Amino acid sequence: MVAPPDNDVLWARALHFQHNDGSPALSGVSLGVREGEILAVSGPRGSGKTTLLRCLSGLVRPQRGEVWFNSVPVHTMGPLTRERLRRDRFGWIDPAPVLVPELNVWENAALPLMLRGTSRRRAKTAAMEWLERLDIGDRARRHPHELRQSERQRVSIARALAPAPTILFADEPTAPLYRADRAHVLRTLTTAARSHGITVILATHDAATASLADRTVSLLDGRGVNTVHLPPVPEKETEAAAETAADEGAEADAGAGTDAEGRAACSLSV
Amino acid sequence: MLALRLARGSHPGVQFRRLLVATATAATGFLLLGTLGHALAHQDTAGGSALRLAWCLAPMAATVYFAVAVARTDPGTRPRPGLSAIGLGPARLMAVSAATTALSCLLGSMLALLFFLHLRGDLTGMPFDGDAADFLAADHPLPLPAALTLLTLVPAAASLSVALTLRPRDPRPTPGNRPRLRPYNASGRRAAQTADTSASIDAPATTPGYAETPAQEPAPSPPTDPNPLPAPNPTPRDLPWGIAVLAAGLAVEAYAGRDPHTPGLTIPGGATGSPAAVLAGWTLTALGLALAGPGLTHLCGRLLQAVRPGALRLLAGRVLMAEATRIGRPLGVVCAVASGAYAMVTLYDADDPSLGPLTALGALVVAGCTIATLLTAAVEARAARADTTAALLRLGAPATTLRTAAALRATALLALFVPLTFLIAELAALPLTA
Repeated sequence: MVAPPDNDVLWARALHFQHNDGSPALSGVSLGVREGEILAVSGPRGSGKTTLLRCLSGLVRPQRGEVWFNSVPVHTMGPLTRERLRRDRFGWIDPAPVLVPELNVWENAALPLMLRGTSRRRAKTAAMEWLERLDIGDRARRHPHELRQSERQRVSIARALAPAPTILFADEPTAPLYRADRAHVLRTLTTAARSHGITVILATHDAATASLADRTVSLLDGRGVNTVHLPPVPEKETEAAAETAADEGAEADAGAGTDAEGRAACSLSV
Repeated sequence: MLALRLARGSHPGVQFRRLLVATATAATGFLLLGTLGHALAHQDTAGGSALRLAWCLAPMAATVYFAVAVARTDPGTRPRPGLSAIGLGPARLMAVSAATTALSCLLGSMLALLFFLHLRGDLTGMPFDGDAADFLAADHPLPLPAALTLLTLVPAAASLSVALTLRPRDPRPTPGNRPRLRPYNASGRRAAQTADTSASIDAPATTPGYAETPAQEPAPSPPTDPNPLPAPNPTPRDLPWGIAVLAAGLAVEAYAGRDPHTPGLTIPGGATGSPAAVLAGWTLTALGLALAGPGLTHLCGRLLQAVRPGALRLLAGRVLMAEATRIGRPLGVVCAVASGAYAMVTLYDADDPSLGPLTALGALVVAGCTIATLLTAAVEARAARADTTAALLRLGAPATTLRTAAALRATALLALFVPLTFLIAELAALPLTA
């Protein structure tokens, strides 16, 4: 099933990006994001996930390639226009919650709305609503340094959701959290996005996280890859691998992991 | 050697600040050597020379204050994960920082010595050879140990202060040493940083709202947060003290100014022959201003974000409140110096023979150092907030809003401190002009 192209709210074609020190980050990534879907961008560390999100959200300009948002070219915009687009239509969640330490929780969550010129009262109402939904309404008057990391991350999610962005970019939103907190944060994020029809682009290196998404785009060394289903591994090979790893119990998992990784790496570049 | 190599590769801005420290040290060193020259020329009147030496304390203090501020801002001497992996921990970096400070100060002292010898006519071959020969006692041989002792004073004091300021501290709370009972040191920031972890464990103790509650027993099991945020800088509480000291200083001055015929203390330059009590009053006034600076800055920020603030006033005011100690202390010192300078200009007598170039140099050093310290503190505050600013920009906050917020902060501070300085200066000069 392929959605018609005009259903894509954001699409990118052949993005190339190189860091200032000359190291390549993206080499020819293309993708389309449909309206209201949750798209996971997965891949190991250093595979260009963050750079892809930064290019798509207009934080940086790709050296080559195109980014279109709702049939408007993002790659040709000047910095001021991109800034306004980011403020009005996009939300962003950092891997670690960076809140303004001087403001309390609800002021932090209401800040993007106030920056857009919404009145203080309405911004506060919207922010409080989202904080309640994310189970931190009782801490709305605390300051960030009094909260725990997972609570701060939920505040930054509320801050990203409060202005009701068209697209929410979440760059490894659960990276610094324990697993219990991670599940909670992800659940609230995905539920909120689905109930409000917010498109989410979620960068993650975690397969469990990616499984929450509607669709996954895999990146490897700055290229989009499709994992090809390899023919089943012959019995003998598996046994041999098991034998070598059977000495230490803990090693067995690692052996299986390298095996799976090796197969995943045998993939085709698109 | 390591300090030298680290110093060589730093950013031009950092090098410029170090150069400023060297210049300030050179000027102070020259003042000290000038005192030595005066003492050589007037060996029968030791009292006058001692008084001049005592007056050199003001430029010395300003230079050391500036050197400490520059060392705190130096990005090369901040603990970094990469450096601590090769064994350059906080203690070693403190040593590096002290060595760097000593290096720039020694450079300045050497310049001062060269210039001094040149003006005395001992070194020849350049313009102004021996122009001040009689003034600097060229007919007497220069006692080298004395000169070297005077010249090492500033570098030694500066690197010692830097080492003390940047010494690594145990962030764990110790019983009986509660964070809120800990006094500020000159930096304020360091005191805040030491209180960081303890404050995040026992947060209500440092929040302003809970300041008056009696000391609570320590929490039985501190919550385990793997990434605790540093607690905000504590609210400055020196404002009442500052105002009290300020008022006391003004009162002492007014009291001393009643009788203009009191036998006076000869000040080289400035208000000649003014009674010692006036001087004490001035000192108290300056101290009061320096004490009240953080509190006034905090008040300024509070007013700025007072009634239903939007994003702009919220950002401007809260940041000013958070940075009150860091910005307010040097600002108070600048105000004290400015009010002193205003009073000096008011009382300036063109025919006064005691006002020489050395006095002007001293005043210039004090004024320049305090203003440079204020600017350095502003740079430090900006560097400390770089993360938050970047996050705000990622959110799509307009850069113009952030710039306007900064301008608003500066305007608010100016609007509060400029009239205040004028008022204090007028009040301080009133008893002497009347």
